[in-house]
Amino acid sequence: MSTIEAGAESASDAHGHDHDHDHPPFLAHHFDTPEQQFDSGKLGIWLFLVTEILFFSGMFCAYAIFRMLRPDVFEGCSQFLNTKLGAINTGVLLFSSLTMAWAVRCSQIEQHKGLVAMLATTLSCAMMFLGVKAIEYSHKFGMGLLPAGLYFYNPDNPHPEGQPNYLLYICAPFALIAIGVIIWLVMSIINGNKFHTAIAKPLTVVCLSFFIGIGLGMLLESEGAESHAEHHGAVGHHDEDHAADGDHAHGDEHAAAEGDHDAEHGDEHEGENPSEADSPEASAVPAEIAATEPEGTVEAGTTESETGLLERLATDETNSGVRSELEARQRQAEVAGSAVVTDADQVSGAIASVEGEVLTQRQAGVFFSIYYCMTGIHAIHILAGIGVLVWLLVRAVRQDFNPQYFGPVDYVGLYWHLVDLIWIYLFPLLYLIR
Amino acid sequence: MFANSTTWSLLADYTEEYAWFPEAASTFANDIDWLFWFISIVCLVFFIPIAGALFYFAVKYNKPKGEKAESNTSHNTPLELAWSIGPSFFLVGMFVLGAKSYLDHRTVPDGAYDVGVQAFKWGWTMDYGRGTFHPELHILLDEPTKLSMRSSDVIHSLYVPAFRAKKDIVPGRYNYMWFKPTVASTKVSDQRLQKAKTKMEGLGQGWDYDELQFTPDGYSFFDLYCTEYCGKNHSEMQTVVVVHETLDDLNAWIKKYSKRGPDVDPATYGEALYERRGCAGCHSVDGSKRVGPSFQESYGNQRPLANGESVLADENYIRESILYPKEKVVAGYQPAMPSYKGQLSDDDIYCLIEYLKTVSDYYTPEEPAAEEQASEDATVGADEVEPSEENEEGTDESVD
Amino acid sequence: MSTGSLPAGEIRDPGFPTRSENYLTNSKGILSWLFTLDHKRIGVMYLVGVVAAFAFAGVLALMIRLHLLQPEGALFKGAEANNQYNQVFTLHGAIMVFLFIIPSIPAALGNFLVPVMLGAKDVAFPRMNLSSFYLWVFGAIFFIGALFASGLDTGWTFYTPYSTTTDTSVILATTGAFILGFSSIFTGLNFIVTINTMRPPGMTWFRMPLFLWATYSTSIIQVLATPVLGITLLLLIAERTMHIGIFDPEFNGDPVTFQHFFWFYSHPAVYIMILPAFGVISDLISVHSHKRIFGYRFIAYSSIAIALLGFLVWGHHMFTAGMGSLTTIIFSALTFTVSVPSAIKVFNWLATMYKGSISLTTPMCYAISFIFLFTIGGLTGLHLGTLATDQHLHDTYFVVAHFHYVMVGGTLVAFLGGLFHWWPKMFGKLYSELGGRISCGIIFVGFNLTFLPQFVLGSRGMPRRYATYDPEFAFLHQMSTVGALLLGVGLLCALIVLLHSLFRGKRAPANPWGGATLEWHCTSPPPFYNFERAPIVGDPYDFTPVEWDAENDRYVTVEPEREIVPDKQPETAPAHASGDH
Repeated sequence: MSTIEAGAESASDAHGHDHDHDHPPFLAHHFDTPEQQFDSGKLGIWLFLVTEILFFSGMFCAYAIFRMLRPDVFEGCSQFLNTKLGAINTGVLLFSSLTMAWAVRCSQIEQHKGLVAMLATTLSCAMMFLGVKAIEYSHKFGMGLLPAGLYFYNPDNPHPEGQPNYLLYICAPFALIAIGVIIWLVMSIINGNKFHTAIAKPLTVVCLSFFIGIGLGMLLESEGAESHAEHHGAVGHHDEDHAADGDHAHGDEHAAAEGDHDAEHGDEHEGENPSEADSPEASAVPAEIAATEPEGTVEAGTTESETGLLERLATDETNSGVRSELEARQRQAEVAGSAVVTDADQVSGAIASVEGEVLTQRQAGVFFSIYYCMTGIHAIHILAGIGVLVWLLVRAVRQDFNPQYFGPVDYVGLYWHLVDLIWIYLFPLLYLIR
Repeated sequence: MFANSTTWSLLADYTEEYAWFPEAASTFANDIDWLFWFISIVCLVFFIPIAGALFYFAVKYNKPKGEKAESNTSHNTPLELAWSIGPSFFLVGMFVLGAKSYLDHRTVPDGAYDVGVQAFKWGWTMDYGRGTFHPELHILLDEPTKLSMRSSDVIHSLYVPAFRAKKDIVPGRYNYMWFKPTVASTKVSDQRLQKAKTKMEGLGQGWDYDELQFTPDGYSFFDLYCTEYCGKNHSEMQTVVVVHETLDDLNAWIKKYSKRGPDVDPATYGEALYERRGCAGCHSVDGSKRVGPSFQESYGNQRPLANGESVLADENYIRESILYPKEKVVAGYQPAMPSYKGQLSDDDIYCLIEYLKTVSDYYTPEEPAAEEQASEDATVGADEVEPSEENEEGTDESVD
Repeated sequence: MSTGSLPAGEIRDPGFPTRSENYLTNSKGILSWLFTLDHKRIGVMYLVGVVAAFAFAGVLALMIRLHLLQPEGALFKGAEANNQYNQVFTLHGAIMVFLFIIPSIPAALGNFLVPVMLGAKDVAFPRMNLSSFYLWVFGAIFFIGALFASGLDTGWTFYTPYSTTTDTSVILATTGAFILGFSSIFTGLNFIVTINTMRPPGMTWFRMPLFLWATYSTSIIQVLATPVLGITLLLLIAERTMHIGIFDPEFNGDPVTFQHFFWFYSHPAVYIMILPAFGVISDLISVHSHKRIFGYRFIAYSSIAIALLGFLVWGHHMFTAGMGSLTTIIFSALTFTVSVPSAIKVFNWLATMYKGSISLTTPMCYAISFIFLFTIGGLTGLHLGTLATDQHLHDTYFVVAHFHYVMVGGTLVAFLGGLFHWWPKMFGKLYSELGGRISCGIIFVGFNLTFLPQFVLGSRGMPRRYATYDPEFAFLHQMSTVGALLLGVGLLCALIVLLHSLFRGKRAPANPWGGATLEWHCTSPPPFYNFERAPIVGDPYDFTPVEWDAENDRYVTVEPEREIVPDKQPETAPAHASGDH
């Protein structure tokens, strides 16, 4: 909304006071010259972009902090993100940046038709981006790969039954809008309103391209699932870490975990539905077990030698701090060595099972929290961009822009490039870190 | 900073022996007080001339309207540079002194006497080891003391003004602090203590530290506050520090609270635990609603739960609620209670349950056989709980 | 030179505006105000808004003080007493910070003054300006909504994990703060663009009044820091609704991260609050001493320096939170550096008064109070910036007293001073000088009586945010409460003086104080377009042509008779050249 403000300000005060005779209609009353107006707008939008960057920088900081704290979790969880979908979205956005820059050029040289076409292409790209995003999101919602508090992903059952069809919910508003636009188009053709037709035509294309994005996403998602299996060999050691943290922390005993994994392993190789083979750690199980067990014993050894020392210190009944630290260290070693052996019988009460799950939530959950925050807010910016672009499209059809007055197109262009740029950072940081 | 302690003591303090600072009772106090006065004097050296000039100019150059200023000097770079750079030397001095002293205060000496501190809404539990927990902090004179602090809910901060020491307690990690007390608590006469005890029992509202200025064991004390805002009863999250003169005295005190004595009735001990372990902050025994349900309507009552089910508040339920309080929350209350897993021994829980029976309206004493059964249950329970203590402590601590 | 007789030369005075010129009367009806794009009207609406917010939060402050009259709490009774107290102090802090202090000088006075002082017709984006005001209103509605929903008891800092676990309406309040953040960004962005691109010919950077420099620095902070608050509050909302686990230790997050994020905004926000006050005081001291400001460039640069250094010191709010030793020491060192530019200003103001021709008018009385109180506030900051003493004083009443000396003794007093200074310009009325000075005196005494005892309370170990306290602190608390009541009386007095002037005040001349900046060159109140034609920009602090006209009770600009010699007065030449409007 603010973008509209910054961009549009100068433009739409045109009908204001004609207190100065030499003021062209597009020049707002409080500016002296079109140059002054353009410079003001330009500086304004640049400052706005600075605030946007700082806004995102908060999240990049959160990302940096948590990736520093738990690099393994990030690399592991990144497996769940489909690189192909990310890559195609990057391509789509880059192309839209190109068309946007072209649109600015068109407005400068008064190619009104070209401007409309370029703006419509940019909009279509934006819609396609959202379509692909909808596939990604709905897929993850269904699997329970959600922010920490809502996280319920279970590697033994990655696609639980009875989940609502999230894709349908996401598509519904877009479908409604598309239907509305098509009705509008038909009505305006019937009424012979040329202006409305000229707007509704490109908008119809724009709305439909959301569904192109959906289709593209579905296609790549099913392919991507197959390709996931190929990754396993190459990224085996990462899987190890991830699986070690993500899985073993469950509070199951080794034997139990092994059993589970074997079962899952078997399942996957039967491979009835390729898209369900999305849990990458599955085939890494043997390696992980091999790696974890010796590690576990080493940890235990060091802990024991320290324990002896600390236990002697702790013989004094007042030295409770040492005792609690001792316990803490043992616990930490267990967590670090991923050899948490918590006997379900030993710990009575349901909280034990909750704690077991919390460990996955506590690790993967935070990654997905950051993932949703970053991509979600980026998607909101895309939506805002779509809003502004539609407004530009209407004005372009009205032929408002000319070589003296093309500021709004220019400002929106800058905004669009920034949104694009942020995605170019998000893509490698989230998708390509394994 | 614009007044010194003597003038202020006239104005502000008509009863207390100290004026600007509380009593200096640790090794830090002298450092910090000295630095405080150093900074204050430097500030005064600047402030008095500034304020003087301000009022002097305002009077001296006050002229009727229309008169022109005597001078219109626009700037004087050397002068301005001088007053920009000059004060910086003082600032560097303050910074260096402050940072040095701070580093000294941060480095915990080896072999410090260690006390575990658990902060929760809204109270303190000091862990003296071997199952001795008490809300008061008891430490030894002239002995460096290290506090290993953790919080079970929100951020708290432990502050002992007399020691000039403060540290936040952040959930999810251990924070440490230390100090070395230099002033010991005094003990009041048994006679006076007895008199106070009778009086307090008469009032029936627990021990009033502020009024009596000594603990139920008869020691004078230093105040200990929570200084990080932590919710409703933040201002009541206070306890006291008692500095013992000898180790024997301290150990005797610890021993006194380590376990239930052989001849103490479980319900009586349960009542003491109810007072000491912070239950009283949230659970009344007279039916009034506080943060948690009142114990008057607890034991033996059929309680509706927040998830729509209902449960009979029997021994198992009470035990579970003490160890895993967030599992079965009574309808109408927030899951706000911290877990006491690893903090209450099995006997403690047993005693608390016995106490709850005495205050509950829904409990009718049965034949003695049942009570024996209960204590047997308790012994079995002990085996269950002991090993899990370690896990509990570890989990809370895993972020650092 | 003496009163009564003006020196020879062309007397320049714009006279009085007609009804159709006067921005207050040129269009009628409530809608002409609600949808106005005129920066002056928006400024006036902001003024009404922030004063209302201040009055509300001020009443809350009095409730806090009254409650603390007795150790066990005097005002709120019963089982929920502590809760009520917590809600009252939270709302007092949140409303004062977000709804009053941050927009007070920049949005209310700044909106009115920036274009006029600059010689522009309006700000660069008038509609953004109006939307900024409405965002402020929406933010205020959210805050009030929080009050009526289930209150807010987190303290204005919203520290996690308390704010993610309490059952009060944190989401409403944070949404409100988020919206107010945008309001603040819009204002800042607008001023930066206005000052950069809307300066008329002749208005070079170093001919800008210092108030504009201060506003410019403030705007930089607003634009750079507020987005970080935005994302922090958004993450907090997400934390509460979805438990994203970034700040919540239960999901492996770190509550101290929230503090870092929060103070990365909120420490610079402290400078959003105080920098415009510096600007106001620089102008007030110079105009009422009728003497050129001393060390213009040092003051201008120190504003920018404070704005930039202010971004590097946020860690000093967390000295006891358990940061690493090295980090802590670095933050302490940076904290000391930021004190230097503030000290420079105090010395410069004193040097401006030296050998001036001081009129002890109401604004000047406020300016003198400001220097006194702000110096105390600034110097006590040294105790808190020093690591060792901060271990003792952190989160005690010493901190409370320190920041009230800066925020109230500094910003509020400067705001009042500025309001009294520009009141004749804004509304075209003169107020009772005597009443104004009395209000200033009461505020000065009441303020010191309220907050001086709190320094002692703090160093004696009284923690802040306590609903009840130990009996040994009672006397000082009672002193403070008496002072607060007196302060309330003083503020009420100031309000009455100003409101009275609206109805009974004498018509104000264009230049009642003898200022040389551009706002005194247009009528009081200014016409709708501020300037009929682009104004002649001179030196903002050159008082030589400003003469007292005793006959008409006004100051006028007297242009010495011009000799037809080229290059005699090169400064005014470019301004004439641009008069082809």
